[in-house]
Amino acid sequence: MPRPTRISCVSSDAHLASHLQLRLQSKDFQVAIIPSIEGILGVFYSDPPDLLIVDLHSDPDASINLVTTLRSDSFFSTIPIIGLIAQGACNTMEWDRCPLDDFITLPLRFDELFSRISLALSRIKRIFDNNPLTRLPGNTSIQKAIEEAMATDVSVCYVDIDHFKPYNDVFGFSHGDEVIRMLARIMFNTVRDSGGGFCGHIGGDDFVFILPSARAEGVSQTIIGFFDRIVLDLFDEDTKARGYYEGTNRKGEAEQIPLLSLSIAVVPLHSPGIRHAAKVAEIAAELKKLAKESVGSRCVIDQRTAS
Amino acid sequence: MDEKRNELKKIIMDTRTLPTLPGVIHKLNSLTENDKASVQEMARIVSSDQVLSARILRLANSPSYGFYRVSTISNAMILLGVNVVKSLALSSSIFEIMEKNSVGLWEHSLAVGVAANLIARKLNLPECEEISTAALLHDIGKVIISLKCSEAEQLIRDMIRDRGMYMRDAERETIDTDHAEVGGWLAKSWFLPDKLSEPISFHHDVALSGNHRIKTAVVHIADVLIKACGFGDSGDCYVPQIQQIAWDVLKFNEQAMAEIIDELEDKLVEVKNFSLELQGSDAPAY
Repeated sequence: MPRPTRISCVSSDAHLASHLQLRLQSKDFQVAIIPSIEGILGVFYSDPPDLLIVDLHSDPDASINLVTTLRSDSFFSTIPIIGLIAQGACNTMEWDRCPLDDFITLPLRFDELFSRISLALSRIKRIFDNNPLTRLPGNTSIQKAIEEAMATDVSVCYVDIDHFKPYNDVFGFSHGDEVIRMLARIMFNTVRDSGGGFCGHIGGDDFVFILPSARAEGVSQTIIGFFDRIVLDLFDEDTKARGYYEGTNRKGEAEQIPLLSLSIAVVPLHSPGIRHAAKVAEIAAELKKLAKESVGSRCVIDQRTAS
Repeated sequence: MDEKRNELKKIIMDTRTLPTLPGVIHKLNSLTENDKASVQEMARIVSSDQVLSARILRLANSPSYGFYRVSTISNAMILLGVNVVKSLALSSSIFEIMEKNSVGLWEHSLAVGVAANLIARKLNLPECEEISTAALLHDIGKVIISLKCSEAEQLIRDMIRDRGMYMRDAERETIDTDHAEVGGWLAKSWFLPDKLSEPISFHHDVALSGNHRIKTAVVHIADVLIKACGFGDSGDCYVPQIQQIAWDVLKFNEQAMAEIIDELEDKLVEVKNFSLELQGSDAPAY
């Protein structure tokens, strides 16, 4: 049985709080009522709930303070906070100072509250995992997508940029970020235009896409072709003609650094020996090594057959 | 006089879109399928229309996408995606009052783009596609002037007719700026990279260009060539001299020029056919 959703309610209005608790429990939520604002942060930090309802009506200043403090820590920024406010108060609220996810007016209409809770939870699921730079889903979603795809006729394709670190060092982070965003768009558009699939951003210059094996190689080659072309826009004429630029390597020595290129490792999930998701990444790591041995962009496909 | 300039500049800063020809939009609307052929056809239409091209480059270089140097339509399509480009193109407005010279300018712009591409390839220049894009966009200032200063535009046309002036000189006398400068303002305010905005700003003054003098010189020569061919309608029918600096910077000579003119003729027939197809006319070409 899945873990029940845990909701904490902060209110100094005892009557409202007990009523809330009863109604939420009837919807199978696990509810904790926290009457006092003092010491509340400690409670949260040690045992964060899935969603927070804050009564801004009975104790506005302290509640706003609480919301702001919670939001200032990125770890808690993913907990949805719904504020309860008096009818008409929304006109005078300074929303910048009170970073709520949603509000509902008093007196409460519970059917509306339940809907807002479901909406807040699904919204956070949608955006929480996304990479802020590329807005692609991150590791939680990637893991889930791979697990769901296990033993089907799809391929998991791992993408990363060759010589990205020195590029970042020489040209700066903002240019590095631009390259990451470009790759994300190229990958997303190509996968979508080929007929759809999953795209995720592991982090840094590492990406994943998942699609039916029949399309894997073609899409990989298209992504490589587009990337190799777009990347030329980032270098000046001399660098392009020369094919490298000057930088320092990991040991701090001067070195000729080649232009950016891509490595893609394609792991078909119906290959024998892939019984769990962790094995996929392992095989991909081996293939990547192979892909990186050659100069320029390259796509390597796992060729293991039943033996 | 400064007032007029600043006023126009401010109008440009607030300009988010420009209208294009009804035939172009009509043709795009008919491409409903999402198959490979219609995507290619869409790319062909978009990259032959200066307004659509400029709008798509604006979006690709806008802060919301976070790319800074997208200077060709094919790269913009790769980064934005087919769906985005398609919906942007379909959301275009059209000229409410269709004038004959809108089509003339459309043909002139596309032809200069084609000619610039020929020159760039002949001379083995890097970034041929960037050069043709800059050439396609070189007269975008004229679209803005006719749209935002319609009274002045009438005056400009009268001056060209009655006093035999270059359009640019008539613009300078009337609105204290010209289409090259206005186009440059738009290119800057639409986040277009320097390799596009410089040739637009200086296609009549190659000597003023800095980092992109070669591209500017090609656009300048292509512009003069197309006017000399009498193709399309750039606003006036007078052919200026090719500036010496343009010959020099490209190490261009009359021999190469003659070869290009030879190849250009066939290409112009294609451009004319494409234009007629888009304008929905069934009159035969030439």
